[in-house]
Amino acid sequence: MELSLARVDYLQVGVTAQKTMRLLPASGRKATQKVVVGDQDGVITCFGIKKGEAVPVFKTLPGQKIARLELGGALNTPQEKIFVATGSEVRGFTKRGKQFLSFETNLTESIKAMHISGADLFLCASYIYNHYCDCKDQHYYLSGDKINDVLCLPVHKVNCITPVLACQDRVLRVLQGSDLLYEVEVPGPPTVLALKNGNGGDSGEEIVYGTSDGKLGLTQITGTKPIPKCEVGNDKKRGGILCIDSFDIRGDGVKELLVGRDDGMLEIYNFQSADDLVLQYDHALPESITSIQGGCVGKDGYDEILVCTYSGWLTGLTTEPVHREGGSGEELKLSQEMQSKISSLRNELQHLQMKVLQEREKYQQSSQSSTAVSSVPAFNVNDKFTLNKDDASYSLILEVQTAIDNVLVQSDVPLDLLDVDKNSAVVSFSSCDSEPNSNFLLATYRCQANTTRLELKVRSIEGQYGTLQAYITPKIQPKTCQVHQYQIKPLSLHQKTHSIDHDRPMNTLMLKGQFSFAEIHSWVVFCLPEVPEKTPAGESITFYFQNTFLGTQLESTYRKGEGCFKSDNISTISILKDVLSKEATKRKINLNISYDINEESVRHTLKLIHPKLEYQQLLAKKVHLIDALRELQVHEGNVDFLLPKYRSILEEADQLLEEYKRQPAHLERLYGMITDLFIDKFKFKGTNVKSKVPLLLETLDGCDQDGLIAFFDAAA
Amino acid sequence: MLVPVFTLKLSHKILPRMVALGRYDGTHPCLAAATQAGKVFIHNPHARGQRTSTNRMVQSNQDSDISLLNINQAISCLASGVLNPQLGYDCLLVGTQTNLLAYDVYNNSDLFYREVSDGANAIVLGNLGDIPSPLAIIGGNCALQGFDYEGNDLFWTVTGDNVRSLALCDFDGDGKTELLVGSDDFDIRVFKQDEIVAEMSETETVTALNPMCGSRFGYALSNGTVGVYEKTNRYWRIKSKNQAISIHAFDLNSDGVSELITGWSNGKVDARNDRTGEVIFKDNFASSIAGVVEGDYRMDGSNQLICCSVDGEIRGYLPGGEEMKGNLMDTSAEQDMIRELSQKKQNLLLELRNYEESAKAELNTKKIDGQRGMIPANTQLQTALLVNLGSDNRSAHVELCISTTNDTIIRAVLIFAEGIFEGESHVVHPSPQNLSGCIRVPLTPAKDVPVDLHIKAFVGYRNSTQFHVFELTRQLPRFSMYALSSPDSSAEPLSFVNFTMNERPQRIIMWLNQSFLLPEDVEFQSVPFQVCFTSLRNAGQLCIKIKPGGEISINTDDIDLAGDIIQSMTSFLAIEDLQVEADFPAYFEELRKVLVKVDEHHAVNQRLTADMAEHSRLIRSMLLQAEDARCQGDMKIMKTHYIELYDLNRDLINQYKIRCNNHTELLNNLKAVNQAIQRAGQLRVGRPKAQVISACRDAIRSNNFHTLFRIMRVGAAPS
Repeated sequence: MELSLARVDYLQVGVTAQKTMRLLPASGRKATQKVVVGDQDGVITCFGIKKGEAVPVFKTLPGQKIARLELGGALNTPQEKIFVATGSEVRGFTKRGKQFLSFETNLTESIKAMHISGADLFLCASYIYNHYCDCKDQHYYLSGDKINDVLCLPVHKVNCITPVLACQDRVLRVLQGSDLLYEVEVPGPPTVLALKNGNGGDSGEEIVYGTSDGKLGLTQITGTKPIPKCEVGNDKKRGGILCIDSFDIRGDGVKELLVGRDDGMLEIYNFQSADDLVLQYDHALPESITSIQGGCVGKDGYDEILVCTYSGWLTGLTTEPVHREGGSGEELKLSQEMQSKISSLRNELQHLQMKVLQEREKYQQSSQSSTAVSSVPAFNVNDKFTLNKDDASYSLILEVQTAIDNVLVQSDVPLDLLDVDKNSAVVSFSSCDSEPNSNFLLATYRCQANTTRLELKVRSIEGQYGTLQAYITPKIQPKTCQVHQYQIKPLSLHQKTHSIDHDRPMNTLMLKGQFSFAEIHSWVVFCLPEVPEKTPAGESITFYFQNTFLGTQLESTYRKGEGCFKSDNISTISILKDVLSKEATKRKINLNISYDINEESVRHTLKLIHPKLEYQQLLAKKVHLIDALRELQVHEGNVDFLLPKYRSILEEADQLLEEYKRQPAHLERLYGMITDLFIDKFKFKGTNVKSKVPLLLETLDGCDQDGLIAFFDAAA
Repeated sequence: MLVPVFTLKLSHKILPRMVALGRYDGTHPCLAAATQAGKVFIHNPHARGQRTSTNRMVQSNQDSDISLLNINQAISCLASGVLNPQLGYDCLLVGTQTNLLAYDVYNNSDLFYREVSDGANAIVLGNLGDIPSPLAIIGGNCALQGFDYEGNDLFWTVTGDNVRSLALCDFDGDGKTELLVGSDDFDIRVFKQDEIVAEMSETETVTALNPMCGSRFGYALSNGTVGVYEKTNRYWRIKSKNQAISIHAFDLNSDGVSELITGWSNGKVDARNDRTGEVIFKDNFASSIAGVVEGDYRMDGSNQLICCSVDGEIRGYLPGGEEMKGNLMDTSAEQDMIRELSQKKQNLLLELRNYEESAKAELNTKKIDGQRGMIPANTQLQTALLVNLGSDNRSAHVELCISTTNDTIIRAVLIFAEGIFEGESHVVHPSPQNLSGCIRVPLTPAKDVPVDLHIKAFVGYRNSTQFHVFELTRQLPRFSMYALSSPDSSAEPLSFVNFTMNERPQRIIMWLNQSFLLPEDVEFQSVPFQVCFTSLRNAGQLCIKIKPGGEISINTDDIDLAGDIIQSMTSFLAIEDLQVEADFPAYFEELRKVLVKVDEHHAVNQRLTADMAEHSRLIRSMLLQAEDARCQGDMKIMKTHYIELYDLNRDLINQYKIRCNNHTELLNNLKAVNQAIQRAGQLRVGRPKAQVISACRDAIRSNNFHTLFRIMRVGAAPS
């Protein structure tokens, strides 16, 4: 059965955070459910739908922003008590809006994630996990990296409390009491956790996770070890996952998996076999989906999926058909309903416009006075700056609650700004003055009407570091702009991994000196992405990284007074050496740097790069031939006379072009990295080979692997 | 929702903008499109199995519906329509950089094949003004030419730059059509026969023009802008990051008014309301759109909108019927309306809250908190435009000075203006240590056009993360790149334009104050009156003198500038006709050299063509000899012949290269000649202008250079 869902917009509240909207269980005879949502103005809104109109049940007063909203209640009773996390406080409300709980936790940071199961309350701040039972402190755990979500396996099924933390460093941490039971490695930074089918499956141990790079997975958390069940990649390059729910929207007795992403994609998956997820349906909304749940809201008898978006829209995707067959009278009524809704909105708008005009005048007048100050209105910007593993580029996603007017992008390091297909904004590059204003990139994005979300892609060069700034101007009066900064780190293309291959030939960089553990940690944070800012617990720490573009690796181990960095790529070591010594000099710390260069590593890295190089060169050559071959095809009418080699190019022409388009400047980047490798190799030997670079580039065109290695060896 | 009524997938690529639909046999509509390798294909789904294989056309061996027409040259434009009303069916016109072919597809014969030295970048077919027979009008390098069905050249004129787009439209509503010409110099010119009646300045190369209802027409620019003009007023325009490949007028929602249909380079097709630009329908193709045409392709009595993509995908759409109520998109209009209104409400509420908070903040804090972006309420942004004569390391420029009135700083300035920056905007972003309350932006507009500068300045304090955005608009006068200088500071230019007009000198001074960037307004004292300027671009001198008796003389060596000044002045003073006397000795001398070169190039071309014919004869005989030798088994002789053949081939290639170079130079020179005629025209206004242009043409035709220069000087041929 083809699923057909119609979109209905119900209501708009303030800007919402992740997982802040839930449906209350149906009560009494009525089958429709009430919606409860908490926004960043601190307002909890509860409403039901009557005849297509949102009818409020209760609304609280504004306060601190609401980070999470969950439902709870005694086990085995309807879960209809509302709990919200604001700041470091947890509040409880009845379904009528009466506050029955105000629990001020002893957390120093504000709460980021919350889970409730009966009398057990699980709270997470950035790095801290706390378990309370009846508001009494039970257990505590300090995580190595930021915690994004928390979940507890259903107690009645597994018979013990098993909390699971989704941590930014690509692991799920399974706890027992205050101790770590084990870690589950997942393919990306997990952002959201949910129980399979809402109950953890038959065993109660199966959980679904979503990652910030758009991957989805199912894994079973047993008492001793994890059993990975399945993993869904992100081939379509969609946004990160923000919310997951299970609901039987098709009405076939099997629960589907509902997924909301930060690019506005809503997806429905089902479990084809026990552990195989298959995409069934998708729908694009214009902005991030922060919460999702299936239920019955708009009309009795029609199930729907309710989503809450970043700017606070509550939108339903209902199974109720928009145009029912026959009964034209009903349709007329429907449109009348709409008409009255529209006219009432129009009236309201007129009223508001008058008021705004008055206020605007007042504001203008205030600008005459010499003592008054004028402040700018604050607005929320939802931003995300992440490294894409596939094409080794960064994407910057900006989302504002109202339409964006323009965005100015400025950078003090050379960066390439790439085109993103789904962007409709008109980009314009401005000429840059690197001296004296150190601008290497100045570009404006003028957005089309009603754009609230903008995605940019930038490509960085390792070794060149600085700051990327985005000045965001939304279309609100009085006109204001906000600046957001993003660090481009020296080793910007590195990504953290769980393990590395220890058999590769490694170059080593050793640091010794009078520095503390916190100091060297801050230097590493400065150099490498994805390192938690907090100094790790313990005496020493080891991180593993992988270069997303070349596949080379880096191992960094450091403690107080000593640091050791190992990489098979000599350029990585060279960059680290330069940056670390510069940082140490800035703090007037005397560093003793020693390095051990492994000649074999250069050969190894070249062997790693060369197949990529060869592939790209061949691809470029093939793409170059396509047009000529096509012309021959038209001329001769068929391609039988061509060599199989050329015939296959014609057959694959579309894929080849697609691939070529997908990785612009790939070849140039490879050339650049090989050149860096060449220079760095000899830099460690103390020779400057810059003059030989043109010769190297000449060699690179159409040269085999051995030839290249020979050139590297001979150049000394 | 509107869905295609038919979809075809042709196995041929289609070149962008080269699609035409015609009834080449009088009844069946066929699609003609240019494809790779200098071919035109004709898709005829109505007459299967009729094989023709003579002359130019060959049946494609891949597809029985498709016949291919070999042009053997890169095709630059394509059109079809009725050229000879007696024939009763359409003919196909194919333009290349050197030739125009009018082709009778039905009889598979040429109507005419004309050499066009100015090339054919754009073509349009139809009746122009009072000329009785339909014309095929082609636009090339600065020239426009119209041919009737016998290939007679019935219309000729010049325009400012290379023509990129043409359209016929009843611009002034007199029942006769005028010619719209879009060119590389960003202008849309309207020709009433050979007289320019209107000129609209756009911001980029005009790549497409299309008539709509009445005197309305759509246009597209190379920077992704599309829009609609009603006469000289622009109704609306939108800009996209993609390029509009093809535009077409079609009534898709059956409301009796045509919508503007645009085919985009990213494969999108959209239909927009002609009055508001509101999108009423859109669809997506997998690849870029190549062309949008209309016709009754299904032969069922109603016209379909036909969109073609470069990959050969064709989709036809029938206009939406009564039951769709003009609602062609899949989402319900009411839902969208509610959403839009709610959004508006939310924005107003937000604004209201902003004012409330601002008022609250005012009460609570008397101290300024820069971090949160608080600034004194009476902060103002001041702008000034000045001429900066430059220094050793900076060339002369116009300077825009933006400053605040107190201790606040300007974090960055964004200037949105069209035509004077590389993109549509220019950004000044000082580094943290160079922040101040004053920013100077150098501007160097390349052309003398008035420009609106939309300035957005981010004002705050050094540590602010939020800034106030001050928005204001300044206009850069048309002749801002000329600095006032003292009259006797340098020798007066030899070239001049003299004319007389019955205008009070005060009005001319008004024009002067408005068009130039002067330190202070010039006051009129007495006749004779004189002002001098120095160009910031090349330090050239410009003098404007008003003598007793309304005689005005403009002295400058730059003929373009003189033309611009006359056009600007006459449009300000609303003068319709103006005859002038002009002399530009240096420029005329250059033109004389160009004309000599044109002759030389023609001669070289002829010689080379003769050589080529000789060579190809040689090749034929040599090939025969070589093959003979091969048949006789005499490999040694065969080898020598083939080696000779190889050498000859190399010679031919070399000669071809020479011919190519010769041709490009010829084209450039011809363009220069056309431009010269255009410039001579620009010095006059109205009727004298048209007279000068046609007289110059006659002089060039009769190869009478002496007369040509005389016409350029005094505006008429000696009688």
